This record gives sequence, structure tokens and C-alpha cells, in this order.
Amino acid sequence: MGKEMVMSVMSKDRPGIVADITGAIYQLQGDLADLNQSVLCDYFTMILVATFDDWVTPEDVAAAFSHIPSETRLEVVVKEMTTPLGAKAKKPQDTYVLTAQGKNKSGLVHRISLFCFQHGINILDLATTLKGDQYTMILQLDFSRVESVDAIRSSLASCAVEAGLTVVLQHEDIFKAVSEITLF
Amino acid sequence: MLRSDHILATVEMIQKENLDVRAVTMGINLLDCRGGDVGETCRRVEEKIGTAAARFVETCNKVSLKYGIPVVNKRISVTPIAFVGAGFDRHGFVELALALDRAATGAGVDILGGFSAQVEKGMTATDREYIASIPEALARTTKLCASINIASSHKGINMDALALVGQTVKDLAEITREQHGFGAAKFVVFCNQPGDNPFMAGAIHGLEEADLVLNVGVSGPGVIARALERLIHAKGRENLRLDDIAEEIKQTTFRVTRCGELIGRKVSEELGIEFGVVDLSLAPTPTVGDSVGEILQILGVDVVGAPGSTAILAMLNDAVKKGGIFASKAVGGLSGAFIPVMEDAVLAEAVGSGALCLEKLEAMTCVCSVGLDMIPIPGAVDADTISAIIADEMALGMINNKTTAVRLIPVPGKEAGEIVSFGGLFGASPIMEVRNVGKSSRFIAWGGRIPAPIHSFKN
Repeated sequence: MGKEMVMSVMSKDRPGIVADITGAIYQLQGDLADLNQSVLCDYFTMILVATFDDWVTPEDVAAAFSHIPSETRLEVVVKEMTTPLGAKAKKPQDTYVLTAQGKNKSGLVHRISLFCFQHGINILDLATTLKGDQYTMILQLDFSRVESVDAIRSSLASCAVEAGLTVVLQHEDIFKAVSEITLF
Repeated sequence: MLRSDHILATVEMIQKENLDVRAVTMGINLLDCRGGDVGETCRRVEEKIGTAAARFVETCNKVSLKYGIPVVNKRISVTPIAFVGAGFDRHGFVELALALDRAATGAGVDILGGFSAQVEKGMTATDREYIASIPEALARTTKLCASINIASSHKGINMDALALVGQTVKDLAEITREQHGFGAAKFVVFCNQPGDNPFMAGAIHGLEEADLVLNVGVSGPGVIARALERLIHAKGRENLRLDDIAEEIKQTTFRVTRCGELIGRKVSEELGIEFGVVDLSLAPTPTVGDSVGEILQILGVDVVGAPGSTAILAMLNDAVKKGGIFASKAVGGLSGAFIPVMEDAVLAEAVGSGALCLEKLEAMTCVCSVGLDMIPIPGAVDADTISAIIADEMALGMINNKTTAVRLIPVPGKEAGEIVSFGGLFGASPIMEVRNVGKSSRFIAWGGRIPAPIHSFKN
């Protein structure tokens, strides 16, 4: 059966860092499942899920990672998973993409994320960029608990006016339809 | 996760270019509605449309709301009515027209098309009764549109029918004199009429179709115009060549068509009926910024009608098809840029300034869809001249294996240059001059048929 663990790693980016981390997991005879990595302003972060033999502890994994060389210290968190891998929540059917653009000021992401929370919307993915003084947020949202998209649209419109943002809320299918060759 | 730049490009298209789905049209077969008499047939027709389209408008609105893409027009097309009313006289056809109008109102759709006949080779006694009923049928209804196919590449042109429809156009205008001849705006004469076109006034549910089908018309020319303006602004006119422009039109059309395909499939899925085709036509509306004429101006002619207009239109039409065809499972209908004068503010303006004449429009229809469309002409133009104008347009379609159509509106009591306005989607325009009026009667008087053309030696 084995032990399922979730690991998070953050450090200054350099070539070979993914090879080093996955090498450490391989040395411990871990079986890698899902992995997601991203680089932002020269900093590297990765979240991984892997299955280990019962004798491996989270401390062993963290110790194996600590030998990996890095310009900054490798920030590592390792936890044993409470839900089994196969029981992952299904991707919701009603996924919307929200884009919000406007002049940069502090609190914009908080404002939009608070709006989502207050309306029962879960944020599945969020990416933001700052270009000049223009701030752009792109959020992938789970609308499965939303009863009326229309009601969300109108309250979002007033929230956007207050925050000085231009927002567009569209179903994810539209973006897939216009950007991908295959249409469901 | 989708790529951020793709997301932002799509957002721009939706936000700045007013992306929509122009028409979702439900085709309904009425052949099984024939009853023992007119009354029973009318009852069955109303009942069938009522049942088939009960949730149609509501479902379009629901899908539109979910995806945030407006569905501008919800319409119904039916089996060409001359088949349904075989053996009826003109009064019977008027009764059928009233029944269709009631059904359209009941279903909550904007327009219903299919008060039609197919007479490209010969006319039955029923077809003649049907044609005789058209003026009264359209004058007494509000949502009904009529069309007739009088020519095809395979059968030639039915010149007897042609002579009758020229007179029908005149009668329609006269009977709706109070509304400046508006009745004629609801009647189209076709060569090679498709049975799956979602656009009015020429939509029918062809005999080759299944019982129920859903056809979709993509967004209008405004989206293409805005995309081209954006490209020219971003790259600079001096750094672009026409093939770059064609490529941009292709890519924009791909995205636009995909939205139409998505909405069409979703509405079909919800209603449990077959999804037919996406029609790639660029259909302008009188709204400023939603004009095919404007695209021609963006691409380099100062006024529509100037030399070069036909070449630009040919490129636009072809690029739209190339982009759209891969985006959809099945493309059909008319699938070409429309140049309806009254419905396109820039074309109407060109008519007013004298830049665009009937002959140039005719030339332009050789390379695009769908023909001499929504053209107001002086009310004094005689029926034979109207028939002859139609004959020329039919010949273009017949020889070139394409759909062509004519929708002329002889405005009673008005002369060339005077303005006529029908309001809403039907638009407004100065009345177009018709030259050489009254000089084609000997040709129309022949009757008979122009035989089917040879399908080889294409020069």
C-alpha cells in the first residue's frame, strides 16, 4: 500500500533543481504521482505527491532534500496525506475564468478573492502579472456551488467599479473553444 | 490551465469586438402536418411548431447567459410551405401563413422563414396559387418571411416563375405602401437556395433535412473589423501586406466560428435535437461598427464601390471560409459575406453619395454571398425591369455554381436619392437609382426556361 506524502519545495531557481529533487525521491524508492512547478522572478517552487514504502518518514524525505545544493536554503515542507491519492476531487463541471485588469494598487487580489469567498466560489488557479502600472489577474473558478451566474455577474460588476478594475467573467469552455484544436 | 496570453486575447475579442452568435435557427419539418383540409393542416402546423419549439427561446437564453455570449436572433425555419399545402388555393395559403405567424408568436421567436416554394424547373398549379398568395400573406403577418427558388445550376432558370415574382415584388410593395413597401423586404428570390441557411429572410428547412435540426449563424462583421484595426494599430500599416491581413481574418473567423459551434452544440444538447451546421456568413446590421462595407474601407478603398472593392470582398469572403471551415464539424447555409444595402450603414452611405451603383453591387455579388440584398429602388420601376434584374443575378448563381438571391424593395411614391427607413435590423438607405428602366420587357415576355448550363469548359 505504502505511504502517500505531499511535498513542497521553494528555492532560488537554477538548472538541475528538478533532477536533484526527483533524484532524492528516487533514492528513497518513492513513486512520483502528481507534480506542479513554477518559476516566478527567478524563484522556483514545486509541489509534489509521491508514494513511499511504510518505513520512510516525512523527516527522511526532508533530510534527503536538505543535501540538495541551492544558492538560498531549500525551504521544504513534507506531510503525510490524509486523503488517498485516488480520492482526488473531480474537476468541477462549471469552471469559469475571471480576468481583472486595472491600475496597480495594494489589496486588489484580496478584494477579488474575498468576493469569491463571499459568493461560495472556490479559486482553482490564480495567476497575476504586473506590467508597468497595469495589474492583471486571471482566475480559474469553481462555480459548482453558484446558483445564479447572472447574480454573480451583477455583484461582480459593482465590485469591479469600486475597485477600479475591468473584469470579464466567461465560462472556461469559451476559452477552450477558441484556443484549442479539439472541441470537447 | 489555459495559457494567459490566449485568455487575454479571447477576453479582448469578447470585450472590445462585441462577439455574439448572430442567429440560432430551429428547422422544423412540417410534411407530416398535412390534414384533410386547410383548417386541420393549420391546427397541426401550429401544434407541431408549438411542441418542437416550446423550450427553444428559453434554452437559447439559458445557454447564452451561462457562456456570456449573446444569441441575437432566435428563429424558426420550416419545410417550404408549397409542399405542405399541395392542392390548396391562394386563400388556403394565406390561412397557412396566419397559422405560421401565430406559431412564431407563440414560440417567442423573432422571425419564421419557409413560406416558400421550389420552382427552378417547373411550376405546379399549387405553386402558382402559392405565388399569388404571397402579397396578402406577408401583408397580414408580422413574423413571416417568404422565399422562392426559381433557378439552379442543375436545372437552369424558370423564366415563367421569374416573370411572376417580378410582379409579386411590385404587388408586395404596393400592398404595404403605408410602410414604404416593407412587405418586399420579407421576400427573397433565389438561385441554388440552401436548405440549411439560418439567416432570414431566406431560411427554409429543406426537404433533405431531418425532422428537427438546429443551425447557427456566426457573429457579424464588427468582430473582423475590430480585429483588423487592432492588427494595423499594433504592427503599423507599412509593416503589413494583404496576406497578413487575410491570415488575421482567418484566425479571427476560426475563434468566432468556434463560439458559434459551442453555443449551437450546447443548445442542441439541452433540447435533444440534432445540431446541423454553422453558417459562416458575415451578416451586417445597421449598427455602426457592424458593417462589411467598413471592412472594405479598412482594407483600402475610401468608398465602397471604388475600383478594388470586388477584389477586397473576394479576399475577405475566402479568408472567412478558410478560417471557419476547420472550426466547425459541419459548415453549411450561405457561408459568405452579405452586402445588404439597407442593413449595412456604410453601404447605404455609399449609395447616398453615388459611389455605389447597382451594377457594381451585382459585380460584387459574384465573389460573395448572397446577392442583391435589401436594395430600395424607385417605386416607379416596372415589374419586367425588376424581373430582368433578378434574371441577371440568377444567371450569376447558375453559371458560377453558387447561391445568389435578390431582395429588391420598390418604394411606392419615392424616387432615387430619397431616404427610406424600416427601423431596427432592417435599417435605412437612400433609394438606389435603376438605370435603363423599361428596356427589358421583350426579354421577360419570352417565358419558358433558360436551360441548365454546361458543367465543363469553365471559362
